[in-house]
This record gives sequence, C-alpha cells and structure tokens, in this order.
Amino acid sequence: MNRRVYLDHNASTPVHPEVLEAMLPYFGERFGNPSSVHAFGREAREGVDMARERVAGVLRVSPDEVVFTSGGTESDNLAIKGVAAARGRGHLITSAIEHHAVLRTCQALETQGFDATYLPVDGDGMVDPDDVRRALRPDTILVSIMHANSEVGTIQPVAAIGRLTRERGIPFHVDAVQTLGKVPVDVNAFGIDLLSFSGHKIYGPKGIAGLYIRKGTKMLSIQHGGEHERRRRAGTENVPGIVGLGRAVEIRGRDMAAEAPRLTALRNRLWEGIGAAMPEVRLNGHPTERLPGTCNMCFRHVESESIVLGLDLKGIGVSAGSACTSGNVEPSYVLVAMGIPVDWAMGSVRCSLGRSTTAEDIDYVIESVVPLVAKLRSLSPARV
Amino acid sequence: MRYSETLIDHFRNPRNAGMMREPDGVGEGEYPECMDLARVYLRVRDGQVVEARFQTYGCGPTIAASSAGTELIIGSPLGTLVGLTGAQIESAVGGLPEDRVHAAEVVSAAIRAAARDALRRMARS
Ligand SMILES: Cc1ncc(COP(=O)(O)O)c(C=O)c1O
Repeated sequence: MNRRVYLDHNASTPVHPEVLEAMLPYFGERFGNPSSVHAFGREAREGVDMARERVAGVLRVSPDEVVFTSGGTESDNLAIKGVAAARGRGHLITSAIEHHAVLRTCQALETQGFDATYLPVDGDGMVDPDDVRRALRPDTILVSIMHANSEVGTIQPVAAIGRLTRERGIPFHVDAVQTLGKVPVDVNAFGIDLLSFSGHKIYGPKGIAGLYIRKGTKMLSIQHGGEHERRRRAGTENVPGIVGLGRAVEIRGRDMAAEAPRLTALRNRLWEGIGAAMPEVRLNGHPTERLPGTCNMCFRHVESESIVLGLDLKGIGVSAGSACTSGNVEPSYVLVAMGIPVDWAMGSVRCSLGRSTTAEDIDYVIESVVPLVAKLRSLSPARV
Repeated sequence: MRYSETLIDHFRNPRNAGMMREPDGVGEGEYPECMDLARVYLRVRDGQVVEARFQTYGCGPTIAASSAGTELIIGSPLGTLVGLTGAQIESAVGGLPEDRVHAAEVVSAAIRAAARDALRRMARS
C-alpha cells in the first residue's frame, strides 16, 4: 500500500477531533430546535450562542455582528446581494481573481442593472490599492476583495483598501474563507465591514460558515422566512454545524501562531526541492505575501491533470490548476489574470498543506513529482 | 477510480513511447479545445505495421490511449488503419468517461494520419 499524503487543504480539511467531539452531543441529546422555548430548545440555543461568542471572541467583534450561513458561497452571496438590495442600484468593485461565489454574484447583479468593475492583478496575483482608488465612483456601493486567493495564496493589501473605503463610507466586503485561522484577520484594523469565512477550510464541518456584518452596515436579507439570525438569515439553524464552526474557529485562534511558521517552512521546502531538481518550473503567487501552506507551481510541457493522476497513483492528493470539463480545458482564470502564458498555465498544480503535513510527506512528494514530470515530459512531442 | 484498470496500467507503464528515426509514416492528431497533441510513427513491412511509437502531450487518458493504440495496431495492415475509429481505441483502453472520449479521438486521428502518410510514401516509391 502506498503512503497517503493529502495536500489539498485549500479544497477542504478533515474535521478536527476536538471539533467532532464538540458537535456530537448536538446530534444526540441536544437535538432541539433553538427557537423552541422548552429545555430541549434552550439546550440547542446555548450551543448556538456559545459558538457565536467564540467566533466573535476570535474576530474581536460583538456576537450580534456574526451571522451563520450554509457555506462560504452563501456568505459571499449574502454580503454582496444584501448590500446591493439595500441600495437598489449602483457600482461594485471587485477583482478578476475572486472565487466564483463573488465573481458570479457580481455578474448576476450586472444583469439586474448594477455596474461592476473587475480589477486586474499583477504577476504575483496582487490587487493594487491605487487601482481601487481610481475605480471608486460617487455611486460605488461596495468593494469586495478577497483576503487570499485559494489557488495561488497571494494575500491582498486589504488594510490599504480598507482605508480607502472607510474614508468614503463605502462598505468593504472581504472573502476570508482562505485566511481566517491561517493568517491574522483584524476587521477593525483592516476597515472591514463584511467578512466571509467557512468551516470546512479550517478543520470544521462542510456546509457551515459565517458572515461578520459590522453594526450599521445597511443590507437586506436575501432569504426570507422565520426570524432566525436577527432576521438576517432565515432558516432553522444547523446547530451541530454551528457548534463545530465555533470550536474550529476557536482552535485556529489557539493554534495559528505556531502553525503558520511551520507550514511556511514546509511549503518553502517543497518549492525549493522541486525547483532545484528540474528546469522549466515556476512558483506562482507572491513570494512572501502568501498563505503559509500554499504552493502553486507550473510545470511547462506537462498537462496538470496528468500530474494529478500520476500523483494520485502514488497516494498523493493535489489539485490541478487547469480543469478539463467535458473535453474543454480551461487554464485557471486566476493564472491567466496574472498574465502567466497558457503553455505554462496548462501545467499548474496546487499543493496546499495543513496541520497534519510533515517534512517526510513533503520529501515523499518531491521524490514522486520529480521523476513523474520527467517521465511525462519524455512522452511529450516538442511543440514549436 | 474513475478510469479503467487497463487505462491506469497504460498510463503507469506506457508502451511504445518515444520518437522513431526514419519512420515509414508519421501523423498527428490534435484536440485544440484541450491542447492535446498525439504524434504517431509507423514502421511498415509488406504493408503491415511492424513497429509503432508515440509522443503525446495531454491528460492521463490521452497518454494511456496513445500507448494502447500503438499496441493495438502492431501487425495490422495499413489499409485497415485508415478507417480506424475512436471507438476501437476507446475499447483498447478499457473504456473512457464521457468527458474524456476526446482522448480516443486524438489518438485515432494520429494513427489514421500516419497510415495515410505511409500509403502516400509507398505510392511514391
Ligand atoms: C476564497 C473562497 N471563497 C469562497 C469559497 C466557498 O466556500 P464554501 O465551499 O464554504 O461554499 C471558497 C471555497 O473554495 C474559497 O476558497
């Protein structure tokens, strides 16, 4: 049997044992509906309240500024559509490398009469705050810039952007799905009014997430029903999920400071090992302003999926930058926006490390990738 | 696993990989939507393929289909190869998921082109 090495933590993470432990009672004896007034309901409500306090504690905000949702995707939708609905019309600013949950939400709003600007990024995947400044208009109603990109890990200058939006009183949404619990997030210092985060990227369960909404931010709910979440998000709460998210955020708050340098060292070991062993490979994303565990590389003259398959056969899970869907290969829109030539972008592979990753894992990946890429290149016809 | 055991075996241990010097026929198949490219070389004796080699850029299935396809055609008369279909290559790799059928198309196109090239060269000499 092969060794198994999971290097796809930006896609999802295993639930932390302490998170699972915290959740289990809420599937069992504490099953009540938190809206019910009896003891069964109150026990479930306690779990939700405690989770909200834990999240608020880590974010250093007030608990009633935290809304639970069904995922990072819903948090992004709620933030953007919620502000848009409150304003009725206007202009949105975002970037070309946002997650689809943001990009397609903005595109959908464009079909409903809103205007949107998609800011470019530089070769490292960085948004220039001066571009944000230049894009601001009198009718700009929201700026939405992700904290770090999931594919390449570049960390955006959100504090500088937050200064611009704050000066003008424009709400600032930050998709922090890839950063909360990995790098410091400070909504006050960064001038953030809306912050999306998600459970399954930080060793919490899937299908649960949160949105921080600064008090006073004008927005409407986008899902109508009961009075849940102070009428900002209708629907009976996912109590075990919320409890798990609360615990996951709390654990990240505890472990992040020690883990970030460890993962940064491992990610650098991976890149240095691979970069030194073969020609025509490049590291994507910002050299230093990057998520600790993210290492996205392009292997020229090889197709991403053949590397992913070859590594899968070695028990290694990584993800391909280019996706071949129904026979059509799309090089990653993020790499294309960064200006990476298509013949490089076609061979991109993302390794994302996590709390269980060891130096032995990294060395095994290096030992596996190097001969695999050499073999795939030897099969390849020269392209001119 | 999404792919057949045969496909995985060909991907792990590709047969007939590499270029051929002074071939009797060469052909390419391409799938621009995917940037896949397969090049097939043939050595022919008495109208039959005695050796076939390939060079391929593409996803795992395309590489595997190149290996299985070149293996399949050794011993075949050139005349039958000009009509080789994608379905024949697909069955040689033990089937393909619907969104990877292009792998068989790229390889069958390369083999047909190589067979036509060999026939053309024979007619000339
Ligand atoms: C930056 C970013 N935003 C949003 C999401 C969506 O989160 P979820 O999977 O919880 O819907 C992801 C997940 O891939 C992400 O990486």
